[in-house]
Amino acid sequence: MAADPTSDPGLGDDSLELFVEGADWESVVDAVEDNRLTVNMGPQHPSTHGVLRLVLQLEGETVERLDPIIGYLHTGIEKNTEYRPWVQGTTFVTRMDYLAPLFNETGFSLATEKLLGIEIPERASALRVILLEFNRIASHLVWLATGGMELGSTTMMTFGFREREHILDLFESQSGLRMNHAYIRPGGLAQDVTDDFVERCESLLELLPRKVAEYEALLLKNPIWNDRLRGVGHLSAEDCYQLGVTGPLLRAAGVPWDLRKADPVLGYEQYDFEIPTETAGDSFARFLVRVEEIRQSMRIIRQALDTLPGGPVMVEDKSIAWPSQQALGPDGIGNDPEYIRHIMGESMEALINHFKLVTQGFTVPAGQVYVPLESPRGELGYAITSTGTNKPYRVHVREPSFVNLQAADQMSQGHMVADVVVVVASLDPVMGGVDR
Amino acid sequence: MTSSYVPTGDHGLYEPALSFDQLGERITSAFPDVRVEHAFGELTVHAQPDHLVDLLTFCRDELHCQMLADLSGVHWPAGDHVIERQTSTTGWPEYRISRERGVIEVLYILRSVSHNHRFRVSVGVDDEAPVLPTATGVYRTANFHEREVYDFFGVTFDGHPNMTRILMPDDWLGHPHRKDYPLGGVDIEYKHDKYIPPPDERDLREVID
Repeated sequence: MAADPTSDPGLGDDSLELFVEGADWESVVDAVEDNRLTVNMGPQHPSTHGVLRLVLQLEGETVERLDPIIGYLHTGIEKNTEYRPWVQGTTFVTRMDYLAPLFNETGFSLATEKLLGIEIPERASALRVILLEFNRIASHLVWLATGGMELGSTTMMTFGFREREHILDLFESQSGLRMNHAYIRPGGLAQDVTDDFVERCESLLELLPRKVAEYEALLLKNPIWNDRLRGVGHLSAEDCYQLGVTGPLLRAAGVPWDLRKADPVLGYEQYDFEIPTETAGDSFARFLVRVEEIRQSMRIIRQALDTLPGGPVMVEDKSIAWPSQQALGPDGIGNDPEYIRHIMGESMEALINHFKLVTQGFTVPAGQVYVPLESPRGELGYAITSTGTNKPYRVHVREPSFVNLQAADQMSQGHMVADVVVVVASLDPVMGGVDR
Repeated sequence: MTSSYVPTGDHGLYEPALSFDQLGERITSAFPDVRVEHAFGELTVHAQPDHLVDLLTFCRDELHCQMLADLSGVHWPAGDHVIERQTSTTGWPEYRISRERGVIEVLYILRSVSHNHRFRVSVGVDDEAPVLPTATGVYRTANFHEREVYDFFGVTFDGHPNMTRILMPDDWLGHPHRKDYPLGGVDIEYKHDKYIPPPDERDLREVID
């Protein structure tokens, strides 16, 4: 039956309510009869990854129940995309999961391309793979960094963010932005990579393995890291299935499930890599899986760089592709003089096409698609409905952070309050993605 | 619940064990009044609300769908919806639907980890008093998803343990993802008592002034 939407989420018994306002802790404890407390954690607690609020029901210091309260970052991105042409959709969705912006762009673009029934050029696919895998490494580095910081290892924090910055420099050199790139678009990429792209990637591939070994040296046998992570936040494969949990958490529970292998897009099937798994299903296993995933991502990038094909990075169809190939001019402004000459001086049809593409965008056939993608946090799905217009009819995003967060309740039950921090860290939720 | 099947490469995990035709056949033989549709390389099962939970349980237990991957809604309001064939869309299907009553379509994406197949179950409910049975008894993950659909579309899931808003504030009025709910239009206090209308109600000439 429908509950009153304004009612209390139903935490515990409402007969006794205590509000602590600078009182002596002993007096609070004395007033609590059965040793049960409901405690609010967040939404501005530094260890809750953004604005996540947790309501904990405690018995003593043991967590009996955890309720995540979310929505503080809800910005209506899904609704906004319904009012914008398809190309502008990537600009919106890239702001959801801000640690994996390229995955959001790719998911949206792939769904659009599926509805359009087009194949993007091989070079665009390979470049997308390289950028996605770098993005996965960057995201896992942030996980290591913030996870380390929450458990008191500020050295790991500086290490993780330091190396991530190198990857963001690479993204910035190609797209102009460190995050929220809007670089991957329906039909391919916004523009081709720069001449020094391969060189930059090579230097990162040379740097990162040494650094990953450094992180392992720092953490793998660290007694505090081991004590805090081992045996905390256990989830079995069966629990993961029931709770819809995917990504490193499912793999840490022993299931070699990776959409790059199971449902490959972008030619992932031609790269040789392994799915790291662990069987313990606890937070430490997730740490091991994520570190190994960084290595496997580097393997994929290595192969993609070696076999990087030439050719265009955007589909040939001029009614879909943004036709301009902009380059930085001597005046510091991106421009394409040849293209401007073409539309302004040579071809009236090209000018009309340009005008229609810029003002209206392209139309996409009616239909419904669901495109899943293996993001650093699990299955990122784009469920897009089109009615044949120049705007999406409905864009729904299956955000792995949103779904995985449900598991926090079960994972923290029976643990201490301090372990809640570990549980939330091992879930790696990004609140921009949870709230969308 | 099917027994925990830990897939490995040796077990042919990445080969679909059941084709879409086989899946459709098994579903229609167990549920004669569902309609199976195949488009864009995806399978959609159009079901009715009264046998929804039975169908989901059947998919979980008999068709090896261990996971409910996604649950979302789409609002199709009443009225005529015609998208004419344009020169730029030659060869694409025209979109021409007329509804007497508005429908909220709820989409369930079911996924099998062991057999690597995925399909969509689509259920339509009247948009004036939409009620569906909850899927939380079949898949616990439906909890957050159903709260999201309730929040955005107003679909009440009967039997849900905690049917409250999830992303919008608790005291919010209306369901933002319905098509009759405008984008923007939330009164915000700007300086000098300025009123800024929602984007689709803006007069561009006024903005230039």
